[in-house]
Amino acid sequence: MKSSKRISLVLLGVVVLTVTVTGPLRLSAQTGPAKSSSGNGAAGATRWSVQVVQVDAGDVNLAPSFQVAIYEDLLDELGKTKQFKQVLRDGDRDASDVSDLLILKTTVQKYTAGSETRRAVTTVSGATKLTVRSQLCTRDGQMILERTVNGNVRFFGSNLRATHNLARSVAKTIKKSSLPEPSFSVPAQGAQ
Amino acid sequence: MNRTLVPWEYTTNVFFPVLRRVFASLILLIGCAAAALAQSASKPTNVTAPFSVRATHLMGFADTRHNAHGTLSIQGSALQFQKDGKAGGEVKIASVQEVFVGDQGRQVGGVPMTLGKAAVPFGGGRVVSLFAHKKYDTITLQYVDANGAVHGAIFQLSKGQGTTLRNELVARGARLSQGEDEGTKPSTAEVSSEIK
Repeated sequence: MKSSKRISLVLLGVVVLTVTVTGPLRLSAQTGPAKSSSGNGAAGATRWSVQVVQVDAGDVNLAPSFQVAIYEDLLDELGKTKQFKQVLRDGDRDASDVSDLLILKTTVQKYTAGSETRRAVTTVSGATKLTVRSQLCTRDGQMILERTVNGNVRFFGSNLRATHNLARSVAKTIKKSSLPEPSFSVPAQGAQ
Repeated sequence: MNRTLVPWEYTTNVFFPVLRRVFASLILLIGCAAAALAQSASKPTNVTAPFSVRATHLMGFADTRHNAHGTLSIQGSALQFQKDGKAGGEVKIASVQEVFVGDQGRQVGGVPMTLGKAAVPFGGGRVVSLFAHKKYDTITLQYVDANGAVHGAIFQLSKGQGTTLRNELVARGARLSQGEDEGTKPSTAEVSSEIK
């Protein structure tokens, strides 16, 4: 009787230890950048400002809450990188006075609706997945950067956490990319 | 003792039409009362009366922290979020451009519950997860500030309160888009639009 109690206690300890050790690893894996891009931190990007345009759902049946969440998270995450002089919202009248302005357009390409309960029960199913195409353009429409970025929630967190992970990936991708100096003419860059 | 015996089936036949009429009148009366009640319920809301509802701010509202629990109230022409009775963010209802109501299921208990479920041996936590979830309404607002910049805010409410809040906002001047609410959309497992 005593030995069985001991065994169950040891098992419990092992489970708690496993969860404590692997939990953060899982989280860090799921929030990692979707695509690695070559290039050092943008040297001239400190002089750019960026205006985030509202998310275009395209043909994807994406809930309005997700569109708003992506937009707000992008503003947050781009502000955190401190890469840009200003991070402006869509429709902001101040944008017309900003000289070196980049416009960030986001188009949703793919969306898989997930379920927090399914994730909690099965672990392997119920993931919320988002794939977007991010385009950085100048005011006159010249494309500077175009990337396809993913944001997922696979294990822990609500469905809306996918938008947070996506925005972080977009911000990281932009930070890793080499943006040209604002004064130079910008060659068009193809999709990755 | 010269009585005329009437069989019981004839007796019922005499009273049956009367009973039928009484029942019909009763049903008509109940129907009218229900219709009157429904009419009075669907009357436009009093736009000056204060309105408040418990809500969790998920993101985006002015001067408010993420995941803050508080009260979302309509004071005059403004929508306010108050945490612990302290005045928080405020947005003019006239500046609200879009209101969407959706719903989502979430696991209850937060991080402590998640850790507890993970610690239960033999996958017992998964069984707990099956029952430890709750449905909420979400209300998504899009509004513009004085500078014309677009903001978005998402709140989580108890089930059924999203539509009430949306109706209140619309009655007080918020614009409602032509788009569908989140709940009315078909729930597809995977929706994709591949750019070729």
